[in-house]
Amino acid sequence: MNSPTHPPAPAPDRTIWRIQACFLLISAVVIAVAVASIRNINRSMASSDWVNHTHAVMLEVDGVFSSLQAGNGASMAFVATGDARNQGSARAAFADMAEHLEVAKALTRQEPPQHELVLRVEALANRRAEFDRSLLGSQPGAARSLLSADAGGDAMGEIQRAVEKLTEQEMALLADRDRTSFLQAQTIRWTVWSGVALDVLLLGGAGWLVSDALAARRRAAAVLEEANRLLETKVRERTAELMASNENLTTENLERRWVNQALEHQLRYDQLIISSITDLVLVVTKALNISRMNPAVVRLTGREPQELVHRPLAALARLAEQPLVDPLAQALVDGQDLREQAAWLEDKRGRKIPVRLSLFPLRDRDKVVGGVVILRIMPQDAPPAEKATPA
Amino acid sequence: MKKHILIVDDEASIRSLLVEFLTRSGYRVTDANSPHEAQQAVKRDPPQLVISDLQLADSDGLDMIDQLKASLPDTPMMLLTGVLFDPKVIRDVLSKKVSAYLQKTAPLAQVLGEVHRLIGPP
Repeated sequence: MNSPTHPPAPAPDRTIWRIQACFLLISAVVIAVAVASIRNINRSMASSDWVNHTHAVMLEVDGVFSSLQAGNGASMAFVATGDARNQGSARAAFADMAEHLEVAKALTRQEPPQHELVLRVEALANRRAEFDRSLLGSQPGAARSLLSADAGGDAMGEIQRAVEKLTEQEMALLADRDRTSFLQAQTIRWTVWSGVALDVLLLGGAGWLVSDALAARRRAAAVLEEANRLLETKVRERTAELMASNENLTTENLERRWVNQALEHQLRYDQLIISSITDLVLVVTKALNISRMNPAVVRLTGREPQELVHRPLAALARLAEQPLVDPLAQALVDGQDLREQAAWLEDKRGRKIPVRLSLFPLRDRDKVVGGVVILRIMPQDAPPAEKATPA
Repeated sequence: MKKHILIVDDEASIRSLLVEFLTRSGYRVTDANSPHEAQQAVKRDPPQLVISDLQLADSDGLDMIDQLKASLPDTPMMLLTGVLFDPKVIRDVLSKKVSAYLQKTAPLAQVLGEVHRLIGPP
């Protein structure tokens, strides 16, 4: 059993692979840029939150100091004027301060250095607030003596320095975060623009590969089309040649059949003529042996062709006169006709019939190859004998 | 329309050969094996050329040609025969009766040449 034949596998199309690789790279770059951008955006948002947080800490600390100053001022005014409204203002300011302190502590809970400073500010502010509250709760005279013994300016200065230190630290952190944010923004820009540039380059490469592949396919198609056209032309030419050759062969075949037919017809016609002759016609070889005869010979002598063929003519017919040199043989040698010679024909029963014998040399290209003998029956009373005459 | 040729011969093999050859050469060919059939064919579809043998089974080709000329006075007649005539006979006798005389031993190309000469291409 024959195994099935498979067509050869087509060569792998590397262009498709390259284009696919380009698009995979483009996709990878897009994903990488997207991931990096989202991460940086998240960082920026975190930075922004932190900035707000830092500003909130600074505001709260400033609020602590401002509230303390307001409370302290109101306490001093109360001591100086004894006005109860100042006493209320001072207490409200200290309540604000406590609130600012709680908020500041809560905001810095995750930042130990800042929290430490806030606690320090709290301790200093509470100590000063306690002093001021003691002023508010004392008699005017006692308050004035307490006040005269107070080194309030130093205490407030220390609080202010602590607040300023905390603010400076926050500002320094803000500056660091600003630099970091700027670098992150730059990184985002570079990442995005690099990704875009790389993708553009990859897209350009993919486009070039596609156009190159298309151009190659167009060239291949053109080459194939040209090859097909040439093949079709050759096939047409070859077909025309074969048709012409076939036409010639058919014509030659017809011509050959025609020639054969014509020859056969001519031969049959000639044979018909010979057969219709009542005279006896024989064909003899150069050795005077009988090779062919017409039906008249068979009819008149009663001998069948097989009895006569390759037999000497003398067995059938003889000249009336027999000179030393046989005139029949001599006529064939000389290539001359021998006409109307008196002769005897002997039939199958041995009866001798007087005839006139003529011999015509049979030529094949100027060479005598035999002769045609015609025997004409003579009446019984006709005188035989007649001399040979040259043609 | 293709030119029409009538072939008259009592030998079927010769008729079929001529029909095949002349049909391949582009002519429309009808064949008849006797003068009677030829007359009927002429009545049915008058030909532009008649090609006839001399010795027909029941008649003489030249006699038949004489009869056909009565109905086809302007149609050329060609004698295609195995009988070999003396050139003088051809010149003095046959040329007055027929438009062309060819021996059957003549090549088919010569037959076609005579047909072209008498009636032109198909």
